[in-house]
Formats: sequence, structure tokens, C-alpha cells
Amino acid sequence: MTLTIFPWMIALPLGASPLVYLAGRLGWHRVELNGRSWLVRGLALLALALTWIPFALSWGQFAAQGERLFFNFETIGLQADGLSLLLAAVTLGLGTVVVLFSGPYMAGEVGEEKYYAMLLAMIGLIIGLGCANDLFNFWMWFEAMAVSSYLLVAFYREQSASLEAGIKYLVQSAVGSVFVLLGVALVLGATGTLAMDKIRLATNGFTSTHSGLALAGAFFVIGFGVKVALVPLHTWLPDAHSQAPSGISAMLSGVVIEAGLIAMLRALSTLGMLSVSWGTLLLGFGALNMLFGNLMALKQVHLKRMLAYSSLSHIGYILLGIGVALTSGQLAGAQGAAFHVFTHMIMKGLAFLTVGAFMFALLYQKGSHRSLVIEDLAGAAHKYPLAALALSIALLALGGLPPLAGFMSKWQIFVAGFQSGDGWVMGLVIFAALNSVLSLGYYAPVVNMLYRQKMGDVVQQGEAIPMTMNIPLAVLALAIVAIGLWPSIMSWLTEPAGQAILFIFGK
Amino acid sequence: MNFDPLNAVLIGVVLLLAVGFYGLLITRNLIKIVLVLQVLVKAVVIALVLAGKDSGNLGLGQSIAATVIVADTVVAVVALALAVQVRIRIGTLDLSKISSLRG
Repeated sequence: MTLTIFPWMIALPLGASPLVYLAGRLGWHRVELNGRSWLVRGLALLALALTWIPFALSWGQFAAQGERLFFNFETIGLQADGLSLLLAAVTLGLGTVVVLFSGPYMAGEVGEEKYYAMLLAMIGLIIGLGCANDLFNFWMWFEAMAVSSYLLVAFYREQSASLEAGIKYLVQSAVGSVFVLLGVALVLGATGTLAMDKIRLATNGFTSTHSGLALAGAFFVIGFGVKVALVPLHTWLPDAHSQAPSGISAMLSGVVIEAGLIAMLRALSTLGMLSVSWGTLLLGFGALNMLFGNLMALKQVHLKRMLAYSSLSHIGYILLGIGVALTSGQLAGAQGAAFHVFTHMIMKGLAFLTVGAFMFALLYQKGSHRSLVIEDLAGAAHKYPLAALALSIALLALGGLPPLAGFMSKWQIFVAGFQSGDGWVMGLVIFAALNSVLSLGYYAPVVNMLYRQKMGDVVQQGEAIPMTMNIPLAVLALAIVAIGLWPSIMSWLTEPAGQAILFIFGK
Repeated sequence: MNFDPLNAVLIGVVLLLAVGFYGLLITRNLIKIVLVLQVLVKAVVIALVLAGKDSGNLGLGQSIAATVIVADTVVAVVALALAVQVRIRIGTLDLSKISSLRG
């Protein structure tokens, strides 16, 4: 019996969250944090750095054991499979970078300590969501993660736009979680248990389609679909992602919607027997998301809003990969989807963080909190070469230009689609490739604006971007290029995740 | 024909859900939206107990229902806190009047 380490991945950030808050509150200056924000930031960073240790150790255990790790505390069961570890890696990776980046970005904001406390809580809860092994506990992690993200979206509470985004997000997510709970009730009524493995055993006994379970599946798709932003349910996303502080935009776009997607997959996978029809449904939503996200992004003038809409289309590519895996049982599709979850985290994280760095240098330092429009960046490459290069790399990778990371993960999904040999799926892959070209229609003008225009007034009057912001940007940009050149260096993470997706659906 | 009391509960759940969704469609006031969300969640709470009873696992259904009440209270508190801020900063609780973000 070896020691179970992976629950520490959840416990460390969750436990550190109140400590970080207290560290910011203790002492004489009860409102101003000025002198002690290094303490808050340092604690948050230390907690995340320590969380990498249980991650690495549980990875070692998982790789050595070759199957899922289990942990039972009273009746609460946790498990760690490839999908959990992928989510943990993505969350920890982006979370660490965001905490580093937020140092100068959030310095001096009212409630800075709450920002780090909620961010740590959100990281712990997302990792927990990936590890839940019981349909109801699973909902609890999901709901708690949602609450922490409402507060982070509405963080600038003196701005009406960010309050509005927070309220919209909260109402829509709350309705979504009602649907998820109805699905949980139906599953409980039909099978009498909530442990995922037991539900799987019970549902395998149903030979024909069980109407209650099919309804439960529909509720799961609607409920989690709000969080994943499947197209008719997406309306909160562009508001929330564009109004949140930039570090949080990066987390929401790079991790939280993917967490919702993994949650949806886990919940659907318990229903058994129907995986092909779920796969077809996800393919349909994927096509809708790609087209709608790209068309809406084309007409945006605000940079963060454009990036938010591009997240919709990237969810579409991920859904395409998963749909291919579920309909044709191909590992390559699931692995490509897992790979795209990873590369999208890096690319979209970097894009939001560079836009945040520009907002910090061009607007916040001047005391303005308005949102950055594309024209503001005219000629920025002459004054901010590193940030401009990082933003260009992120955008071109999102557009799928070889040899950057985004190309490699899309390529893997497309190849899997063609290998499936199904005419409809191949048509969808061609559609996705055309969408990818279409997306360059809004990424390329930004790069053009950065490099080929004369320096505008906003850029000329801008302040310098601090070194502590530039370092995280450079690291992420290097990662995009490196993964683009050697995509196989990530297969240690994506292959078990792909296998886990197929395994939970019983393929 | 025998009347099964469980069916009455099921009808109650469906009615509560109908009231909730109808309310969600017609309400624009933030406080009322929080109330309507509570109605929806209460329907789900009853549905969970019913599902537990139906599948012979009443204890599980009840314990889940109690947990849902706690978790949902947190959401309601956050929603009301946001509503207070909205009222202070924007000066209205009418959702149709605070939509500046479009497109």
C-alpha cells in the first residue's frame, strides 16, 4: 500500500487561500495593503510552488502504476486519472504564471488580498473537480468553483460594466447548475447510487435507451453547456471574459471553460450505452461554436472581447476532437482534444496576459480603466518589442500557423477526423480548417497594427512594462514555439488524458 | 385507481419548476431573480429527496438535499451582495436598464 499523495494537490491551494487573505488583513493598516502586498503575493506563489510537488509525485505514481489512483475519506471518494492530471497540470501551470504576472498588475487595487485568496481557492477547486469520483461531490466542486469565479469576474466593483458581467454570469450559471442537479436527481432515481463507477455498472445493464437517463444527459449538456459556452448558452462569456482583471480572463478562458467541458464529459460518460449519440451531439455543437465564435470575433473592436469570442471557436475545435473520439473510438481524436486543451491554455493565457500588460502600461498607469481597442496598439512593436512579439506569437498560434503549438494540436484533431473515414466527420474537419483560416481574418490585423502602423498617441504616452510582467510573457511565448517544434514533448500528458476519455466512455 | 402520494410530490416538483422558469422569463428585477432562482433550487431539493425515496436510498437523497440548501445559500448571498453593489454604483436593480455590454 503506497501513500496517496494526490489529494494534497487540492488541499494545498485550498488551505493556503484563507491564510493569504489573513496575511493581507492582519496588522495596522486595515484598508491599505501597500507595504505588505509582497507578503500576500509571496505566500500565494509559495503555495502554488509547493503544489507542484504532490503533482509531480502523483504523476510518478500514476505512471508507475499505469491505472487510476484512488483516495477515500469517509464516503467522499476521489480519483486521479489521466484527465484529472491534465486538468491539474493546466490549472497549476497557468495559475503560477498568472500569480507572477498579477504582482505588478494588481498592485494597489482595493482588495488585492482577496484577489489572491479567491484565485488560489479557484485553482484548488478546479483540481478537485477533475478528481471527483461521485456525481454529487462533483456538483459541489463545480458550484464552489463557480462561486469563486463570480467574485473574481466582478472584482472591479466600482465599475458598472464589470458588475453587469458578474451578475449575468451568476444568473446564467445558477440556472445551469439547477439543470445539472436535475440530471443528478434523475440518475439517482434510476440507479440508486451516485458513485460514478457504480452508475456505470448499473447503466451497462440497461439494454435499450433509458428515457430518464437520456433526459439526465440532456440536462447535463444544458447545465454544463452554460459553463462551456456551447453556442446558444454562451452569452455571459464575452462580457465576463472581457471585464474581469486580465489574469482572471486568462484563467477563465484557459482553464475554467475547459474544466466545465471535462465535467460535462465525466457526467455524460456515466450514462453508458449512448456514447455515439453524445459524440454526434458534441460534433454539432463544435461546428456551431467554431462558426459563431469566429464570425462574432471578426466584428469586435475591443481586444479582450475578440479574444473571448475566439475562445468559443477554440472550444469548437476541442469538441470536434472529442466528438471524433466518441463516434469512431479513435485515441488520436481524444489525445488531440487533450493536446488542444493544453495548447489553448498557453496561447489564450499568453494572449490575455499580453493584452493585460498593454492595458497596464498604456491605460492603468494613466488612471484609466477603459478597455483596450485594437487601434490603441498602433505601432506598439517599436516601443514594446517583447510584448508585441509575445502577442503576435500567441495570436498566430491561435490562428493555427505552423510551426506554432496551436497548429500541432489542431493538426492532430484533423488527422484523427480523416482517419475515421466517415464522410460527415471529414466534411466537419474541412469546415474546421476553413474556420481556422477565417480566424486569421481577425488575428492578422492585430499583428499588422502592432508592426506596420505609425506609433499612435496612446503608445507614445505609454509607460514601460515592468520586468516582472515581461518574464511570464517570455516564458509562455517560448513554450508555444517549443511545443510547436517538438509536439511530442507533451505526449506524456496528453496520451493518458486521451486514454482516460476513451476509458470513461467504455471504448 | 390507487393514488400514489409520490406522484403528488412529482407533480409538485414539475409545478415548482414551471413557476421558476416562467418567473425567470418575465422577471427583470435582480432581487426577484434571486427569489426565482431559489424557487428553482427548492424544486430540485424536493426532486432529490424523491429520487432517493424512489430508488430505496432515502438517506442519500436527504443528505444531498441538505447540502444543496447550504451550497445554494452561498450563491444567493453572493448574488444579493452583487445586487447591493449594482444598486449603489448603477442606481437601478432593473436588469434591462443595466445592459451596456452588447455584441
